[in-house]
Amino acid sequence: MKWGMVIDISKCMRCHGCVAACRVEHFLPFSIAWVKLIAFETEERNVVDVTTYPVRCNQCADAPCVDVCPTEATYQRDDGIVAIDADKCIGCRYCVVACPYQNRTFFSKKRNVNYFPKHPETRFEKMGNVLYPHQTGTTQKCNFCMERIDDGLAKGLKPGIDKDATPACVNACQARALTFGDLDDPDSNVSKLIRDRKGTQIRAELGTDPSVYYIDSKIGQYYTSNKAPKEAQTGHYMPDKSSVENRAKEIFSKKT
Amino acid sequence: MVTHEWMVKPMQQTEWIKGEGLLIWLAEVFSSLGTGLYLVSMFIGNWWGAAFGWAIIVLIKLPLHLIYLGKPVRFWRALPPFTGAWRTSWIARGFFFSTLFAGIGFLQLITSYLMLYQNGEMAGTTLTTVAGLDLILKILGGFTAIMTAIYCGFMMSFCKSVPFWNTGLLPIVIMNAGIADGLALLIGVGMWGGGVDIIMLESVTRILLLVNIILIGTYLLNSTYQSDTAKLSSKELLVGKNALLFWVGVVILGIAVPLIISLLGYRTGGVSHSLQIIAIVCHTMGAFALKYCILNVGIYKPLLAK
Repeated sequence: MKWGMVIDISKCMRCHGCVAACRVEHFLPFSIAWVKLIAFETEERNVVDVTTYPVRCNQCADAPCVDVCPTEATYQRDDGIVAIDADKCIGCRYCVVACPYQNRTFFSKKRNVNYFPKHPETRFEKMGNVLYPHQTGTTQKCNFCMERIDDGLAKGLKPGIDKDATPACVNACQARALTFGDLDDPDSNVSKLIRDRKGTQIRAELGTDPSVYYIDSKIGQYYTSNKAPKEAQTGHYMPDKSSVENRAKEIFSKKT
Repeated sequence: MVTHEWMVKPMQQTEWIKGEGLLIWLAEVFSSLGTGLYLVSMFIGNWWGAAFGWAIIVLIKLPLHLIYLGKPVRFWRALPPFTGAWRTSWIARGFFFSTLFAGIGFLQLITSYLMLYQNGEMAGTTLTTVAGLDLILKILGGFTAIMTAIYCGFMMSFCKSVPFWNTGLLPIVIMNAGIADGLALLIGVGMWGGGVDIIMLESVTRILLLVNIILIGTYLLNSTYQSDTAKLSSKELLVGKNALLFWVGVVILGIAVPLIISLLGYRTGGVSHSLQIIAIVCHTMGAFALKYCILNVGIYKPLLAK
Protein backbone atom coordinates (compact mmCIF):
# COMPACT_ATOMS: atom_id res chain seq x y z
CA MET A 1 0.00 0.00 0.00
CA LYS A 2 1.39 3.37 -1.03
CA TRP A 3 -0.75 6.46 -0.72
CA GLY A 4 -0.65 8.97 -3.51
CA MET A 5 -2.47 11.94 -4.92
CA VAL A 6 -3.38 13.02 -8.41
CA ILE A 7 -3.97 16.69 -9.16
CA ASP A 8 -5.91 17.62 -12.27
CA ILE A 9 -4.50 21.00 -13.21
CA SER A 10 -7.27 21.71 -15.70
CA LYS A 11 -9.87 21.44 -12.94
CA CYS A 12 -8.15 23.57 -10.32
CA MET A 13 -9.89 26.93 -10.16
CA ARG A 14 -7.58 28.54 -7.65
CA CYS A 15 -10.19 28.78 -4.90
CA HIS A 16 -7.62 28.05 -2.15
CA GLY A 17 -10.14 25.67 -0.57
CA CYS A 18 -7.42 23.05 -0.08
CA VAL A 19 -5.19 25.60 1.64
CA ALA A 20 -7.99 26.60 4.00
CA ALA A 21 -9.06 23.01 4.71
CA CYS A 22 -5.50 22.06 5.58
CA ARG A 23 -5.20 25.07 7.86
CA VAL A 24 -8.38 24.13 9.72
CA GLU A 25 -7.61 20.41 9.87
CA HIS A 26 -4.18 20.89 11.42
CA PHE A 27 -4.77 24.17 13.27
CA LEU A 28 -1.86 25.61 11.33
CA PRO A 29 -0.18 28.68 12.75
CA PHE A 30 -0.77 31.94 10.90
CA SER A 31 2.53 31.96 9.01
CA ILE A 32 2.57 28.30 8.00
CA ALA A 33 0.93 26.72 4.96
CA TRP A 34 1.42 23.05 4.22
CA VAL A 35 -0.41 23.38 0.90
CA LYS A 36 0.47 26.18 -1.49
CA LEU A 37 -0.80 27.32 -4.84
CA ILE A 38 1.84 28.52 -7.20
CA ALA A 39 1.20 30.36 -10.41
CA PHE A 40 3.05 29.47 -13.55
CA GLU A 41 3.06 32.13 -16.21
CA THR A 42 3.34 31.29 -19.88
CA GLU A 43 3.41 33.59 -22.82
CA GLU A 44 2.33 32.78 -26.34
CA ARG A 45 1.98 35.39 -29.04
CA ASN A 46 1.97 38.18 -26.48
CA VAL A 47 -0.85 36.54 -24.54
CA VAL A 48 0.12 35.80 -20.97
CA ASP A 49 -1.61 32.91 -19.25
CA VAL A 50 -1.40 31.80 -15.68
CA THR A 51 -1.78 28.17 -14.69
CA THR A 52 -2.12 27.32 -11.04
CA TYR A 53 -0.34 24.38 -9.48
CA PRO A 54 -1.36 23.24 -6.01
CA VAL A 55 1.80 21.95 -4.32
CA ARG A 56 2.37 20.14 -1.07
CA CYS A 57 4.90 17.64 0.30
CA ASN A 58 5.34 15.08 -2.47
CA GLN A 59 5.83 12.19 0.00
CA CYS A 60 8.77 11.04 -2.12
CA ALA A 61 9.57 7.34 -2.18
CA ASP A 62 13.27 8.23 -2.06
CA ALA A 63 12.92 11.31 0.12
CA PRO A 64 16.06 13.44 0.57
CA CYS A 65 14.61 14.84 3.81
CA VAL A 66 14.54 11.36 5.37
CA ASP A 67 18.16 10.75 4.39
CA VAL A 68 19.47 14.05 5.73
CA CYS A 69 17.62 14.19 9.05
CA PRO A 70 20.27 13.74 11.76
CA THR A 71 17.88 12.51 14.43
CA GLU A 72 15.53 10.33 12.36
CA ALA A 73 12.76 12.76 13.27
CA THR A 74 11.71 12.62 9.64
CA TYR A 75 10.79 9.08 8.80
CA GLN A 76 8.95 7.14 6.15
CA ARG A 77 6.03 4.93 7.05
CA ASP A 78 5.31 1.62 5.37
CA ASP A 79 2.50 3.27 3.42
CA GLY A 80 4.95 5.76 1.88
CA ILE A 81 3.94 8.77 3.95
CA VAL A 82 6.90 10.88 5.07
CA ALA A 83 6.17 12.16 8.56
CA ILE A 84 7.92 14.24 11.21
CA ASP A 85 8.20 13.38 14.88
CA ALA A 86 8.35 16.92 16.28
CA ASP A 87 9.61 15.61 19.63
CA LYS A 88 12.76 14.36 17.93
CA CYS A 89 13.38 17.32 15.61
CA ILE A 90 16.32 19.49 16.67
CA GLY A 91 15.62 22.25 14.15
CA CYS A 92 18.81 21.99 12.10
CA ARG A 93 16.86 22.89 8.92
CA TYR A 94 18.95 20.57 6.76
CA CYS A 95 15.73 19.00 5.47
CA VAL A 96 14.39 22.44 4.51
CA VAL A 97 17.46 23.12 2.38
CA ALA A 98 17.67 19.60 0.99
CA CYS A 99 14.03 19.35 -0.15
CA PRO A 100 14.11 19.94 -3.91
CA TYR A 101 10.45 20.98 -3.78
CA GLN A 102 10.79 23.40 -0.86
CA ASN A 103 7.72 21.99 0.81
CA ARG A 104 9.09 22.19 4.32
CA THR A 105 8.92 25.17 6.62
CA PHE A 106 10.90 25.87 9.73
CA PHE A 107 8.48 27.02 12.42
CA SER A 108 10.62 29.62 14.16
CA LYS A 109 9.65 31.72 17.16
CA LYS A 110 9.40 34.70 14.80
CA ARG A 111 6.80 32.85 12.76
CA ASN A 112 4.75 32.02 15.82
CA VAL A 113 2.48 35.03 15.70
CA ASN A 114 -1.20 35.26 16.49
CA TYR A 115 -3.74 35.41 13.73
CA PHE A 116 -4.58 38.86 15.02
CA PRO A 117 -1.36 40.42 16.30
CA LYS A 118 -1.55 42.33 19.57
CA HIS A 119 -4.86 40.60 20.31
CA PRO A 120 -5.53 37.52 22.42
CA GLU A 121 -5.54 34.14 20.74
CA THR A 122 -8.72 33.20 18.92
CA ARG A 123 -10.76 30.16 19.92
CA PHE A 124 -9.32 28.40 16.88
CA GLU A 125 -5.79 29.02 18.10
CA LYS A 126 -6.60 27.97 21.65
CA MET A 127 -8.19 24.77 20.42
CA GLY A 128 -5.16 24.14 18.20
CA ASN A 129 -2.78 24.48 21.12
CA VAL A 130 -4.57 21.57 22.77
CA LEU A 131 -5.66 19.40 19.85
CA TYR A 132 -2.78 19.83 17.42
CA PRO A 133 0.12 21.62 19.11
CA HIS A 134 2.92 22.88 16.88
CA GLN A 135 6.37 23.13 18.41
CA THR A 136 8.45 26.18 17.59
CA GLY A 137 12.01 25.39 16.57
CA THR A 138 10.97 22.39 14.52
CA THR A 139 10.16 21.71 10.90
CA GLN A 140 6.66 21.39 9.45
CA LYS A 141 5.15 19.88 6.34
CA CYS A 142 2.11 18.12 4.88
CA ASN A 143 1.60 14.58 6.14
CA PHE A 144 -1.24 13.54 3.82
CA CYS A 145 -3.53 13.83 6.87
CA MET A 146 -2.11 10.58 8.18
CA GLU A 147 -4.23 10.82 11.33
CA ARG A 148 -7.39 10.76 9.23
CA ILE A 149 -6.07 7.85 7.19
CA ASP A 150 -5.10 5.84 10.27
CA ASP A 151 -8.39 6.52 12.04
CA GLY A 152 -10.33 5.72 8.90
CA LEU A 153 -8.52 2.46 8.30
CA ALA A 154 -9.12 1.48 11.91
CA LYS A 155 -12.83 2.00 11.29
CA GLY A 156 -12.68 -0.11 8.14
CA LEU A 157 -12.98 2.86 5.78
CA LYS A 158 -11.15 3.26 2.49
CA PRO A 159 -8.94 6.34 2.06
CA GLY A 160 -9.75 8.18 -1.14
CA ILE A 161 -13.28 6.77 -1.20
CA ASP A 162 -14.64 7.44 2.27
CA LYS A 163 -14.39 11.06 3.28
CA ASP A 164 -13.53 10.33 6.90
CA ALA A 165 -10.39 8.52 5.79
CA THR A 166 -9.39 10.98 3.06
CA PRO A 167 -7.10 14.02 3.39
CA ALA A 168 -8.94 17.25 4.20
CA CYS A 169 -7.74 19.06 1.07
CA VAL A 170 -9.18 16.34 -1.18
CA ASN A 171 -12.52 16.52 0.58
CA ALA A 172 -12.57 20.30 0.33
CA CYS A 173 -11.74 20.56 -3.35
CA GLN A 174 -15.03 21.66 -4.86
CA ALA A 175 -13.75 21.29 -8.43
CA ARG A 176 -12.70 17.69 -7.67
CA ALA A 177 -9.21 18.45 -8.94
CA LEU A 178 -7.65 16.31 -6.22
CA THR A 179 -7.89 12.54 -6.10
CA PHE A 180 -6.41 10.34 -3.38
CA GLY A 181 -5.78 6.62 -3.32
CA ASP A 182 -3.46 3.65 -3.32
CA LEU A 183 -0.70 3.85 -5.94
CA ASP A 184 0.14 0.16 -5.47
CA ASP A 185 -3.37 -0.90 -6.45
CA PRO A 186 -3.59 -0.88 -10.28
CA ASP A 187 -7.38 -0.58 -10.07
CA SER A 188 -7.41 2.38 -7.69
CA ASN A 189 -8.77 5.73 -8.87
CA VAL A 190 -5.32 7.34 -8.73
CA SER A 191 -3.58 4.53 -10.65
CA LYS A 192 -6.22 4.71 -13.37
CA LEU A 193 -5.88 8.48 -13.68
CA ILE A 194 -2.09 8.29 -13.87
CA ARG A 195 -2.25 5.51 -16.46
CA ASP A 196 -5.06 6.88 -18.62
CA ARG A 197 -4.16 10.55 -18.50
CA LYS A 198 -0.40 10.30 -18.41
CA GLY A 199 0.22 11.57 -14.91
CA THR A 200 3.57 13.22 -14.38
CA GLN A 201 5.65 14.00 -11.33
CA ILE A 202 7.35 17.32 -10.63
CA ARG A 203 11.07 17.15 -11.34
CA ALA A 204 10.98 13.40 -11.87
CA GLU A 205 14.58 13.56 -13.12
CA LEU A 206 15.79 14.07 -9.53
CA GLY A 207 14.94 10.44 -8.82
CA THR A 208 12.93 11.17 -5.69
CA ASP A 209 9.82 9.42 -7.05
CA PRO A 210 7.11 11.74 -5.67
CA SER A 211 3.71 10.29 -4.73
CA VAL A 212 1.92 13.36 -6.03
CA TYR A 213 1.11 13.27 -9.72
CA TYR A 214 -0.21 15.95 -12.03
CA ILE A 215 -2.45 15.43 -15.02
CA ASP A 216 -3.28 17.80 -17.84
CA SER A 217 -0.24 19.84 -17.06
CA LYS A 218 2.87 21.04 -18.79
CA ILE A 219 5.24 19.51 -16.26
CA GLY A 220 7.76 17.00 -17.51
CA GLN A 221 7.72 15.58 -20.99
CA TYR A 222 3.99 15.78 -21.64
CA TYR A 223 2.42 18.78 -23.30
CA THR A 224 -1.16 17.61 -23.30
CA SER A 225 -2.70 20.83 -22.11
CA ASN A 226 -0.78 23.92 -21.27
CA LYS A 227 -3.42 26.01 -19.66
CA ALA A 228 -6.11 25.72 -17.12
CA PRO A 229 -9.58 26.42 -18.54
CA LYS A 230 -10.51 30.06 -18.76
CA GLU A 231 -12.80 29.80 -15.77
CA ALA A 232 -9.79 28.77 -13.69
CA GLN A 233 -7.73 31.73 -14.78
CA THR A 234 -8.88 34.59 -12.63
CA GLY A 235 -6.86 36.97 -14.73
CA HIS A 236 -9.25 36.30 -17.61
CA TYR A 237 -12.34 35.51 -15.67
CA MET A 238 -12.55 38.11 -12.98
CA PRO A 239 -12.64 41.34 -14.98
CA ASP A 240 -16.05 40.49 -16.46
CA LYS A 241 -17.57 38.99 -13.34
CA SER A 242 -16.22 40.89 -10.41
CA SER A 243 -17.77 44.10 -9.22
CA VAL A 244 -14.62 44.75 -7.19
CA GLU A 245 -12.59 44.84 -10.37
CA ASN A 246 -14.76 47.57 -11.87
CA ARG A 247 -14.68 49.55 -8.65
CA ALA A 248 -10.89 49.22 -8.52
CA LYS A 249 -10.60 50.43 -12.08
CA GLU A 250 -12.67 53.45 -11.20
CA ILE A 251 -10.48 54.35 -8.22
CA PHE A 252 -7.16 53.80 -9.94
CA SER A 253 -8.17 55.58 -13.12
CA LYS A 254 -8.99 58.67 -11.04
CA LYS A 255 -5.60 58.63 -9.32
CA THR A 256 -3.64 58.30 -12.53
CA MET B 1 7.84 36.44 -2.31
CA VAL B 2 4.56 36.20 -4.22
CA THR B 3 2.92 33.14 -5.69
CA HIS B 4 4.19 34.05 -9.11
CA GLU B 5 7.78 33.82 -7.95
CA TRP B 6 7.94 31.17 -5.22
CA MET B 7 9.83 28.21 -6.71
CA VAL B 8 8.61 29.23 -10.16
CA LYS B 9 11.59 31.44 -10.66
CA PRO B 10 15.01 30.44 -9.35
CA MET B 11 14.92 31.14 -5.62
CA GLN B 12 17.85 31.84 -3.32
CA GLN B 13 18.31 29.61 -0.32
CA THR B 14 18.14 31.68 2.84
CA GLU B 15 18.05 29.14 5.68
CA TRP B 16 21.85 28.91 5.83
CA ILE B 17 22.85 32.50 5.09
CA LYS B 18 20.16 35.01 6.11
CA GLY B 19 19.21 35.92 9.67
CA GLU B 20 20.11 33.06 11.98
CA GLY B 21 21.63 31.34 8.95
CA LEU B 22 24.67 33.59 9.33
CA LEU B 23 25.59 31.36 12.28
CA ILE B 24 25.96 28.45 9.86
CA TRP B 25 28.24 30.54 7.68
CA LEU B 26 30.42 31.48 10.65
CA ALA B 27 30.40 27.92 11.98
CA GLU B 28 31.55 26.58 8.61
CA VAL B 29 34.32 29.17 8.36
CA PHE B 30 35.59 28.40 11.85
CA SER B 31 35.26 24.71 11.11
CA SER B 32 37.69 25.12 8.19
CA LEU B 33 40.03 27.42 10.07
CA GLY B 34 40.10 25.29 13.23
CA THR B 35 40.54 21.91 11.59
CA GLY B 36 43.06 23.28 9.07
CA LEU B 37 45.13 24.82 11.85
CA TYR B 38 44.91 21.68 13.98
CA LEU B 39 45.88 19.34 11.14
CA VAL B 40 48.83 21.38 9.91
CA SER B 41 50.06 22.02 13.45
CA MET B 42 49.82 18.36 14.37
CA PHE B 43 51.63 17.41 11.20
CA ILE B 44 54.59 19.68 11.90
CA GLY B 45 54.46 19.17 15.67
CA ASN B 46 53.41 22.65 16.82
CA TRP B 47 51.49 22.25 20.08
CA TRP B 48 50.20 25.80 20.33
CA GLY B 49 48.83 25.76 16.80
CA ALA B 50 47.03 22.48 17.48
CA ALA B 51 45.66 23.89 20.74
CA PHE B 52 44.35 27.01 18.96
CA GLY B 53 42.81 24.87 16.24
CA TRP B 54 41.09 22.66 18.79
CA ALA B 55 39.87 25.72 20.74
CA ILE B 56 38.39 27.27 17.58
CA ILE B 57 36.34 24.11 16.98
CA VAL B 58 35.24 23.55 20.57
CA LEU B 59 34.76 27.12 21.74
CA ILE B 60 33.50 28.78 18.55
CA LYS B 61 32.34 26.34 15.85
CA LEU B 62 30.33 23.94 18.02
CA PRO B 63 28.58 26.65 20.08
CA LEU B 64 27.63 28.49 16.85
CA HIS B 65 26.06 25.31 15.51
CA LEU B 66 24.22 24.72 18.76
CA ILE B 67 22.86 28.28 18.89
CA TYR B 68 21.55 27.86 15.36
CA LEU B 69 19.47 24.80 16.22
CA GLY B 70 15.78 25.33 16.82
CA LYS B 71 15.96 22.97 19.79
CA PRO B 72 19.59 23.13 20.99
CA VAL B 73 18.93 21.14 24.16
CA ARG B 74 18.04 18.12 22.02
CA PHE B 75 21.42 18.09 20.23
CA TRP B 76 22.25 14.73 21.79
CA ARG B 77 19.57 13.15 19.62
CA ALA B 78 21.90 13.58 16.64
CA LEU B 79 24.60 11.46 18.27
CA PRO B 80 24.90 7.67 18.25
CA PRO B 81 23.55 5.58 19.93
CA PHE B 82 20.46 7.82 20.06
CA THR B 83 20.22 7.88 16.29
CA GLY B 84 21.23 5.68 13.41
CA ALA B 85 21.06 8.59 10.98
CA TRP B 86 24.84 8.74 10.55
CA ARG B 87 24.36 6.05 7.90
CA THR B 88 22.84 8.60 5.51
CA SER B 89 23.00 12.07 7.04
CA TRP B 90 26.14 14.19 6.66
CA ILE B 91 25.03 16.55 9.38
CA ALA B 92 24.72 13.61 11.80
CA ARG B 93 28.21 12.50 10.76
CA GLY B 94 29.40 16.06 11.30
CA PHE B 95 27.93 16.18 14.81
CA PHE B 96 29.47 12.81 15.58
CA PHE B 97 32.96 13.59 14.29
CA SER B 98 33.01 17.11 15.76
CA THR B 99 32.13 15.70 19.19
CA LEU B 100 34.70 12.94 18.83
CA PHE B 101 37.27 15.51 17.75
CA ALA B 102 36.54 17.60 20.83
CA GLY B 103 37.25 14.60 23.09
CA ILE B 104 40.12 12.97 21.21
CA GLY B 105 41.75 16.30 20.37
CA PHE B 106 41.74 17.26 24.04
CA LEU B 107 43.40 13.98 25.07
CA GLN B 108 45.90 14.29 22.21
CA LEU B 109 46.81 17.81 23.33
CA ILE B 110 47.50 16.46 26.84
CA THR B 111 49.72 13.61 25.61
CA SER B 112 51.53 15.89 23.16
CA TYR B 113 52.07 18.45 25.92
CA LEU B 114 53.52 15.75 28.15
CA MET B 115 55.77 14.54 25.34
CA LEU B 116 56.98 18.01 24.44
CA TYR B 117 57.32 19.71 27.81
CA GLN B 118 57.33 17.03 30.52
CA ASN B 119 59.25 14.14 28.94
CA GLY B 120 62.26 14.71 31.19
CA GLU B 121 60.19 13.92 34.26
CA MET B 122 58.76 10.63 32.98
CA ALA B 123 60.33 7.22 33.51
CA GLY B 124 61.16 4.89 30.59
CA THR B 125 58.00 2.77 30.50
CA THR B 126 55.73 5.73 31.20
CA LEU B 127 57.40 7.68 28.42
CA THR B 128 56.92 4.78 25.98
CA THR B 129 53.28 4.41 26.99
CA VAL B 130 52.58 8.13 26.60
CA ALA B 131 54.43 8.21 23.26
CA GLY B 132 52.38 5.25 21.99
CA LEU B 133 49.16 6.81 23.23
CA ASP B 134 50.11 10.13 21.66
CA LEU B 135 50.67 8.46 18.29
CA ILE B 136 47.30 6.67 18.44
CA LEU B 137 45.53 9.86 19.53
CA LYS B 138 47.25 11.82 16.76
CA ILE B 139 45.99 9.35 14.16
CA LEU B 140 42.46 9.41 15.60
CA GLY B 141 42.53 13.18 16.13
CA GLY B 142 43.75 13.72 12.57
CA PHE B 143 41.02 11.47 11.17
CA THR B 144 38.24 13.15 13.14
CA ALA B 145 39.65 16.59 12.22
CA ILE B 146 39.61 15.68 8.51
CA MET B 147 36.02 14.44 8.82
CA THR B 148 35.04 17.61 10.70
CA ALA B 149 36.67 19.69 7.98
CA ILE B 150 35.13 17.87 5.08
CA TYR B 151 31.58 17.16 6.28
CA CYS B 152 30.38 20.72 5.62
CA GLY B 153 31.26 20.31 1.96
CA PHE B 154 29.55 16.93 1.71
CA MET B 155 26.54 18.26 3.62
CA MET B 156 26.09 20.90 0.94
CA SER B 157 26.98 18.72 -2.03
CA PHE B 158 24.27 16.22 -1.01
CA CYS B 159 21.54 18.81 -1.71
CA LYS B 160 19.96 18.05 -5.07
CA SER B 161 17.82 21.11 -4.49
CA VAL B 162 20.77 23.45 -5.04
CA PRO B 163 22.55 22.42 -8.26
CA PHE B 164 25.50 24.77 -7.63
CA TRP B 165 26.42 22.79 -4.52
CA ASN B 166 25.43 19.39 -5.88
CA THR B 167 28.88 18.43 -7.12
CA GLY B 168 31.68 16.28 -5.78
CA LEU B 169 34.14 19.13 -6.26
CA LEU B 170 32.69 21.23 -3.46
CA PRO B 171 34.03 19.18 -0.49
CA ILE B 172 37.50 19.21 -2.08
CA VAL B 173 37.37 22.98 -2.64
CA ILE B 174 36.34 23.51 0.98
CA MET B 175 38.90 21.06 2.38
CA ASN B 176 41.78 22.55 0.39
CA ALA B 177 40.80 26.10 1.29
CA GLY B 178 40.59 25.03 4.95
CA ILE B 179 44.11 23.59 4.97
CA ALA B 180 45.48 26.70 3.23
CA ASP B 181 43.72 28.86 5.83
CA GLY B 182 45.13 26.68 8.61
CA LEU B 183 48.64 27.13 7.22
CA ALA B 184 48.20 30.90 7.14
CA LEU B 185 47.04 30.90 10.75
CA LEU B 186 49.94 28.66 11.75
CA ILE B 187 52.39 31.18 10.28
CA GLY B 188 50.76 33.68 12.62
CA VAL B 189 51.12 31.28 15.57
CA GLY B 190 54.76 30.73 14.58
CA MET B 191 55.44 34.47 14.44
CA TRP B 192 54.01 34.82 17.92
CA GLY B 193 55.34 31.72 19.65
CA GLY B 194 58.16 30.50 17.41
CA GLY B 195 58.91 26.82 16.78
CA VAL B 196 57.70 27.00 13.19
CA ASP B 197 59.69 26.95 9.96
CA ILE B 198 57.93 29.92 8.37
CA ILE B 199 59.78 29.66 5.05
CA MET B 200 58.69 26.03 4.67
CA LEU B 201 55.09 26.92 5.58
CA GLU B 202 55.09 29.77 3.07
CA SER B 203 56.23 27.50 0.25
CA VAL B 204 53.44 25.03 1.08
CA THR B 205 50.96 27.91 1.22
CA ARG B 206 52.07 29.01 -2.26
CA ILE B 207 51.34 25.55 -3.65
CA LEU B 208 47.98 25.34 -1.88
CA LEU B 209 46.95 28.78 -3.11
CA LEU B 210 47.76 27.74 -6.67
CA VAL B 211 45.76 24.53 -6.17
CA ASN B 212 42.96 26.71 -4.74
CA ILE B 213 42.89 28.80 -7.91
CA ILE B 214 42.68 25.67 -10.07
CA LEU B 215 39.98 24.07 -7.87
CA ILE B 216 37.78 27.17 -7.63
CA GLY B 217 38.19 27.80 -11.36
CA THR B 218 37.27 24.20 -12.19
CA TYR B 219 34.32 24.33 -9.80
CA LEU B 220 32.93 27.47 -11.41
CA LEU B 221 33.60 26.25 -14.94
CA ASN B 222 31.87 22.96 -14.15
CA SER B 223 28.83 24.77 -12.77
CA THR B 224 28.33 26.70 -16.02
CA TYR B 225 27.31 23.56 -17.89
CA GLN B 226 26.00 21.46 -14.99
CA SER B 227 22.51 23.02 -15.14
CA ASP B 228 20.83 26.33 -15.86
CA THR B 229 20.39 27.00 -12.14
CA ALA B 230 24.03 26.27 -11.35
CA LYS B 231 25.01 28.53 -14.24
CA LEU B 232 22.85 31.25 -12.74
CA SER B 233 24.65 30.81 -9.41
CA SER B 234 27.99 31.22 -11.18
CA LYS B 235 26.75 34.35 -12.89
CA GLU B 236 25.59 35.73 -9.55
CA LEU B 237 29.07 35.08 -8.23
CA LEU B 238 31.08 36.41 -11.14
CA VAL B 239 29.01 39.32 -12.43
CA GLY B 240 25.95 39.56 -10.16
CA LYS B 241 25.24 40.87 -6.69
CA ASN B 242 28.02 38.82 -5.11
CA ALA B 243 30.65 39.76 -7.69
CA LEU B 244 32.25 42.49 -5.59
CA LEU B 245 32.62 40.19 -2.60
CA PHE B 246 33.92 37.37 -4.77
CA TRP B 247 36.49 39.37 -6.71
CA VAL B 248 37.65 41.53 -3.82
CA GLY B 249 37.16 39.11 -0.93
CA VAL B 250 38.00 35.74 -2.42
CA VAL B 251 40.22 36.49 -5.40
CA ILE B 252 42.16 39.59 -4.37
CA LEU B 253 42.27 39.34 -0.57
CA GLY B 254 42.00 35.56 -0.20
CA ILE B 255 44.28 34.44 -3.01
CA ALA B 256 46.13 37.21 -4.89
CA VAL B 257 47.54 39.25 -1.98
CA PRO B 258 48.81 36.24 0.07
CA LEU B 259 50.21 34.67 -3.10
CA ILE B 260 52.03 37.86 -4.14
CA ILE B 261 53.46 38.31 -0.63
CA SER B 262 54.49 34.67 -0.56
CA LEU B 263 56.16 34.93 -3.99
CA LEU B 264 57.88 38.10 -2.85
CA GLY B 265 59.27 36.17 0.12
CA TYR B 266 60.41 33.41 -2.25
CA ARG B 267 62.27 35.94 -4.44
CA THR B 268 63.84 37.94 -1.62
CA GLY B 269 64.38 35.11 0.85
CA GLY B 270 61.78 36.34 3.37
CA VAL B 271 59.36 39.17 3.98
CA SER B 272 58.85 41.51 6.91
CA HIS B 273 56.51 40.61 9.76
CA SER B 274 54.10 43.38 8.78
CA LEU B 275 53.73 41.95 5.28
CA GLN B 276 53.24 38.47 6.73
CA ILE B 277 50.54 39.77 9.03
CA ILE B 278 48.83 41.44 6.05
CA ALA B 279 48.99 38.12 4.18
CA ILE B 280 47.48 36.22 7.13
CA VAL B 281 44.69 38.75 7.66
CA CYS B 282 43.86 38.84 3.94
CA HIS B 283 43.91 35.04 3.74
CA THR B 284 41.53 34.76 6.68
CA MET B 285 39.21 37.38 5.22
CA GLY B 286 39.24 35.35 2.02
CA ALA B 287 38.14 32.28 3.99
CA PHE B 288 35.13 34.18 5.33
CA ALA B 289 34.31 35.58 1.88
CA LEU B 290 34.57 32.22 0.09
CA LYS B 291 32.08 30.48 2.38
CA TYR B 292 29.72 33.44 2.30
CA CYS B 293 29.77 33.53 -1.49
CA ILE B 294 29.18 29.80 -1.88
CA LEU B 295 26.29 29.83 0.60
CA ASN B 296 24.78 33.05 -0.71
CA VAL B 297 24.60 31.98 -4.35
CA GLY B 298 22.90 28.69 -3.50
CA ILE B 299 19.82 28.84 -5.72
CA TYR B 300 16.98 26.31 -5.72
CA LYS B 301 16.04 24.74 -8.98
CA PRO B 302 12.54 25.98 -9.99
CA LEU B 303 9.74 23.43 -9.71
CA LEU B 304 8.36 23.87 -13.18
CA ALA B 305 10.41 23.74 -16.33
CA LYS B 306 9.54 26.41 -18.88
